[in-house]
Amino acid sequence: MRLGRWAFLILVPVLPFVQRQVDARLGVHRAQQEALYLTGSQLRRLAPGYESLLADLYWLRTVQYYGGQRIWGGGHYELLAPLIDVVTDLDPRLEIAYRYGAIFLCEKPPVGAGDCERGVAILEKGVRNNPLNWRLRQDLGFFLFTFLDDPKRGADVLMEAARLPGAPFWLESLAAQILYKGGDRETSRRIWRGMYEQAEEGPMRYNALAHLRYLDALDQAEAIGRLVRAYQERTGRRPGSLDELRAAGLLRGRPVDPSGAPFAYDQETGRVSIDRRSELWRPLEPGGKQ
Amino acid sequence: MNRLLAVAANTYRETVRERVLYNLVLFALLMTVSGLLMKQLSIRQDERIIKDIGLGAMELFGSLIAVFLGVGLVSKEIERRSLYPLLAKPLGRGEFILGKFAGLGFTLLVNVAVMTAGLYLTLAATHAAFDPNLLKAVYTMFLGLLLVVALALLFSALSSSMLAAVGTVILIVAGRFSDIIRNMKQVAPGTPDWLSHALYYALPNFRNFDLKSRVVHFDPVPLADLGWITFYAAAYLAVVLGLALAVFRSRDLV
Repeated sequence: MRLGRWAFLILVPVLPFVQRQVDARLGVHRAQQEALYLTGSQLRRLAPGYESLLADLYWLRTVQYYGGQRIWGGGHYELLAPLIDVVTDLDPRLEIAYRYGAIFLCEKPPVGAGDCERGVAILEKGVRNNPLNWRLRQDLGFFLFTFLDDPKRGADVLMEAARLPGAPFWLESLAAQILYKGGDRETSRRIWRGMYEQAEEGPMRYNALAHLRYLDALDQAEAIGRLVRAYQERTGRRPGSLDELRAAGLLRGRPVDPSGAPFAYDQETGRVSIDRRSELWRPLEPGGKQ
Repeated sequence: MNRLLAVAANTYRETVRERVLYNLVLFALLMTVSGLLMKQLSIRQDERIIKDIGLGAMELFGSLIAVFLGVGLVSKEIERRSLYPLLAKPLGRGEFILGKFAGLGFTLLVNVAVMTAGLYLTLAATHAAFDPNLLKAVYTMFLGLLLVVALALLFSALSSSMLAAVGTVILIVAGRFSDIIRNMKQVAPGTPDWLSHALYYALPNFRNFDLKSRVVHFDPVPLADLGWITFYAAAYLAVVLGLALAVFRSRDLV
């Protein structure tokens, strides 16, 4: 009896330690195996009549996985696409899984998986499964244009969306703008503003707002860049820091982006950009486009 | 008729005394209320998750109640030898079988009503609008549960409680896989058409009673659909109860 009590006292604190060791060695692989071996169609066959409930449970798991990897996983999202696939196989009409899933997949790391090909594939699957849903087509058009830089396909899909019942009137003009103006910033702003105004409170709205603030920050950086050139024309040299613009009366306040972070300034080139420490900073696109 | 009602009332009183009934109903209610917690883990799916969990729990636990209580309806009476004095009275075997069915059916009706009230209260706690369409799914679910009771009663009249439970569960599972049975040829190419068709039409098609996904997605459910589902349930119930009666009548219980 005494021995049992001692064993209990020793084993209880040991168990979490052992579990952590097992998780560290097998955790990721176990989860991957589960997602890979149990596909949505297999789960459908396993639980006829409970597909919708299973889709909910898998959706909860997807959201938790995304949140967990974003905070603690160092931006590794290997299971995200298979999980979203399982959810949408279980319930092909779960609109939110396509829309949020595409955002989770398309956004650049560490915010998302940075795999927009798969994000767009999820939206295409959503459009196939829900041919009368204009929101999914609208998102597909936006994502083709914004993330895959394909204005032609993006505009075509937006035109399709505009013809569906219930679609907002401005989709058609936006499609035309995308087609003729291509990837200019004003078009991007219109897209994200549309997303922001339509989205309910939550990550989708927050994500659209983050993009709008990013575009505002790019505008501000360009405007400050123009002031740097004006300063150079006036004094014959570039300012040593952006504070010199303020001292010269060219700027009224401290130059900060919409998140409150100061802009980065390179005296060598005179380039003003969003600072790496700012929450609005994003890696450069190929070709130097921020 | 009075004798049938007396058996039904007695069966109802007997079943509501079963502790397992309260455990299952409580568990179903807890699961429904757990939707409130689950919604915190999701993004903008509160109402849908609560409906899915509530309707799923109602169906699962309703089926468990129907099976666990249904398989003992006749066999327990035989095992406890309480059936013999009953049959010695002026009570027809048909009245006994139908009375047992009606009694457990009423127990299930009360339980389904309690679980439905729990689901609506949980939805009200999230300020979701009242959705009367859910009642259509609950109604067809109840018809499916009545069919489970009838099957359990049939097996109960045939064999012991244990075997009756196994037989009923096998038929419920087979009935849920009816779509796969119909398309059996795709899985097993050698299956003759007549076999898959015969199985498909002979087995109780429990998918008919499943409107959960439709009401959760706010799809319209026309009254004609409900009419056909009711007709299917009535016809199948008549066949199964008729079989149960025939089996019970053929048993030498004197």
